[in-house]
Amino acid sequence: MDFYQGKVLRLDLSSHTSTVEPLDMEWAQQYIGGKGLLLRYLWEEAPPKVDPWAPENPIILMTGPFAGTNVTTSSRLVVGCKSPVTGIYTDSYVGGSFAPEIKFAGYDAVIITGQAPEPVVVTIKDDVVSFLPVGPYKGMATSEVEAALRADFDKDAKVLSIGPAGEKEIPWACISTDQYHKAGRGGHGALMGRKGLKAIAVRGTGSVHVGDAKAFLADLYRIHKDHILTEDNLWANEEGTPVLAQIMSDAGVLPTRNWSTGTFEAIEKINSDAFQKVKTKNRACYQCAIACRQWHEAGGVAGEGPEYETIALCGSNCGVSDIAALMKFNQACDELGMDTISCGAVVALAMDLTEKGIHDFGLRFGEIEGYLKAPELIASREGIGAELALGTRALAAKYGHPELSFEVKNLELPGYDPRGSFGMSLSYATSDRGGCHMRSYPIADEVMSGTLPPDTMEGKAKYNMDAQHYSSMKYTGIWCDFWAIDFDQMSQLMKHVWRREVSEEELTAVGERIWNLGRLFNLREGVEPDDLPLKLHAEEHAHTEGVSAGRAIGTEAFRAATREYYQLRGWDENGVPGEEKLAELGVDVRL
Amino acid sequence: MPHVMINSKKCTGCHMCELACSALHEGAYRPSVARLFAEVNPTTGAIKGHTCLQTGCAKCQEACPADAIVTKQITVTVKGEFAGKEKHGDTVTGYVLVVDEEKCTNCGECYDVCPTGVIHEHPDREVAFKCDLCGGEPQCIAFCQNPHVLAVDLKVDKKDKEPAPA
Repeated sequence: MDFYQGKVLRLDLSSHTSTVEPLDMEWAQQYIGGKGLLLRYLWEEAPPKVDPWAPENPIILMTGPFAGTNVTTSSRLVVGCKSPVTGIYTDSYVGGSFAPEIKFAGYDAVIITGQAPEPVVVTIKDDVVSFLPVGPYKGMATSEVEAALRADFDKDAKVLSIGPAGEKEIPWACISTDQYHKAGRGGHGALMGRKGLKAIAVRGTGSVHVGDAKAFLADLYRIHKDHILTEDNLWANEEGTPVLAQIMSDAGVLPTRNWSTGTFEAIEKINSDAFQKVKTKNRACYQCAIACRQWHEAGGVAGEGPEYETIALCGSNCGVSDIAALMKFNQACDELGMDTISCGAVVALAMDLTEKGIHDFGLRFGEIEGYLKAPELIASREGIGAELALGTRALAAKYGHPELSFEVKNLELPGYDPRGSFGMSLSYATSDRGGCHMRSYPIADEVMSGTLPPDTMEGKAKYNMDAQHYSSMKYTGIWCDFWAIDFDQMSQLMKHVWRREVSEEELTAVGERIWNLGRLFNLREGVEPDDLPLKLHAEEHAHTEGVSAGRAIGTEAFRAATREYYQLRGWDENGVPGEEKLAELGVDVRL
Repeated sequence: MPHVMINSKKCTGCHMCELACSALHEGAYRPSVARLFAEVNPTTGAIKGHTCLQTGCAKCQEACPADAIVTKQITVTVKGEFAGKEKHGDTVTGYVLVVDEEKCTNCGECYDVCPTGVIHEHPDREVAFKCDLCGGEPQCIAFCQNPHVLAVDLKVDKKDKEPAPA
């Protein structure tokens, strides 16, 4: 079979058994791969209303049709489950080389079910699957377990692992691969920890077929020449996401000191210029031309990152402008296996609670000593870490100040304050996995290109809807955010998979089909209303400084935009997709 | 003599060269059977390239008891239109070492002597396989995608001995 291996590997941790089953090609036709196919499998595999911590809640690893080929950025893996944090659908994308290796081992997807009686690691060498006692790997940092498995199992193995935070089921524990790559958001690492799965090491020596390989190479050569190494993409190579730090601060969008302002006075110490001074090199994910991974060395810390979201949540939002301290914090989170967005957010909240005299966590904005101890304490649930590991919602509620928690559906918000970019309010509120900026990104036009006014909700419902269809299709490919691929380029690539002409409209429809399926999943499991922290839309909480000073979305304007969004989608006033829309899109499941 | 080199200071570790190499030679993507590879240390990001030096090395040819490593004349053209491919269109004529699969007995002598570890037993055909510069249009160079400089490049070492064509 071309582009697909046609096989799904099922790992049952309860019984230490693995089985191989055919990939459902009817679903693959409708949902292609990546996010779409993951969602379709999850709908079937997760029993309705399953307790997300239960053994029956699967973790699904899905590849895209182009993983393991020369199609740039398509090495991404998507990890999905019913989130133990949000109680709804969650997916998280990770680069590196794991997805291609799974394909070379002969599988399109891995479905992980059950719960190991004692923790294990799983090794996969093509069709040989072994369950081994966790033994010496227990408690290892992510880089250590990767190196150990390469030494013990296969020097060319690619490893997916959790760190100590995952073993302790920290809500923002992530899944790591190639040391610096994280499927960060939604608590996949915590669920992997609950399942007793420390790591999966895979080595694949098989082939990914693409039909006429010479013709495929020739077409890719053309597509890459015209569409990859262009100005639209090369910013990611040259500066990477740190370039956003100064832009967001200037626009009043940068979360600073637990979202108290959108402009950070010390931004020049942690902006792109500062990181360029300590940059050592670029590295690429597998099969990626763009090579966005920025390596830095400062204050005795060398390695990859931090990315913008880390600079925002662990830097300005904690009042921290010490570049070496920020790199240390980032590295600690990487090694412990924690998402830096949520981790930074909860540390910032603890600082805020301390500064306001509500409870003394020994953490203050900009004070490095306590800040640097926090990741380790959280990951081990020791000292203040036991409370911080509650997450911002529960921690703020515990101390009677829910207004100091900035999350949507219990997922901490990333680095964009909607008060400086109104469209982001709807992006956060309607994202299918809670507080997330990856499903639609009005920032691109409200702040970066300046083609949309940032201070009105007008037109933002449609903007977010269209962007969600685009991202759903993009994450199905799976293409990376740093390739500004358009529907035309997607169709040029999908033509090779479907062996026929592919229209942009049909791929937009796939995106919309996937988005509606995600909504149905969330409604089935019980999703909170599409809301936003009060401070981010209420008139009385406008910023008082910076370019966004005095601006407020207004609660009524925000609610009206949400209603408009539902209406445009063909959903009812509660956000339930109508039968007409589902039939039109060919969504093959119903509530 | 022409051969491919991976510049470890320029390489980003994207492995596009290995993928393109396997697609051309195997008719499918199978980088475990690529004829060159870039070894990336995940912790330090350090890269070491492994490529065949062709007649400039020729240890495989010297070791082969079956005379199965054959010197063949070749004209190589660098194809590539990305930024940094300043040698685009350059044509070099020289010699390359190829495996005569009829003669190869898969004895393994060459596997042991190759200093860069790029001649191996083919997992399906049970003969040695190695870089042949794609018959003249190396796909590793065409797909080298460092946006700024060519990391996988054609080198021509004038000092190499120039053996008589077989």
